[in-house]
Amino acid sequence: MEQLIEQLKAQIIEALNFEDMTPADIDTDAPLFGEGLGLDSIDALELIMLMDREYGIKLADPKAGKAIFQSVRTMAEYIQANRTK
Amino acid sequence: MRVISEIEITPTSVVLNGKPIAVETTGEKMLVELYRRFAGDYPKFFKMDTLSRLGFIAAEILLKEPMANSPKPTAIILANRSASIKNDTDYMDTISDGKYYPSPALFVYTLPNIVTGEIAIRYQIQGETSFYILDKPEDLEQILLSTFNIQPSTSALAGWCECSYANTFYAKIQIIWNN
Repeated sequence: MEQLIEQLKAQIIEALNFEDMTPADIDTDAPLFGEGLGLDSIDALELIMLMDREYGIKLADPKAGKAIFQSVRTMAEYIQANRTK
Repeated sequence: MRVISEIEITPTSVVLNGKPIAVETTGEKMLVELYRRFAGDYPKFFKMDTLSRLGFIAAEILLKEPMANSPKPTAIILANRSASIKNDTDYMDTISDGKYYPSPALFVYTLPNIVTGEIAIRYQIQGETSFYILDKPEDLEQILLSTFNIQPSTSALAGWCECSYANTFYAKIQIIWNN
């Protein structure tokens, strides 16, 4: 799980163009939206595309996103349980 | 119309009011270098496409220049010839042959007038904001005259802001007063 979390952090940095940031700068349990990383709705769409592109996960239920994108850890847990690649 | 301040940016040079600003990098890396030097407090810069980065940096340097230490522009009027073609092709690459992962972050910049919005948000400019697709920079003058005649704008951030390919861009942007 820890390896997946580190990999996911690097992918988030690349997908969202956080050029000044390293994986160590991202708190695994901090909120992704609002406080914490302060992501916006376009970033949310990028994360959905990232899950599809890198892990073969298609989010069919938009309501599920709120729980999945709570933090890097919740994202990683969802990926581990649902990945197809 | 009176030009108060002017900046010209090419992939290898930056000239502010006739004086070169020394840079250590070129092309798109130079825009990042300028961001770190003149802004540095606006992470949204890294989400912008090259056209918006170019216009944003030009505005950032111009509006921090002491000569322009007067009421901020009330209008933003920019133009170019290639619209948002560079970002459009970047976006197209995400939906071409065999891969279909359209990037929302690229999609939102597939209009050239986004750059005027980015500057307006940064500087809270609430007057006219427009972006024209023109054949050449000279064609903008008549538009500026018309804008100053019709709109109550007293000053404008106006000029040419072009990015046609990766690392190929040109901006000549001025602060113009209508008096």
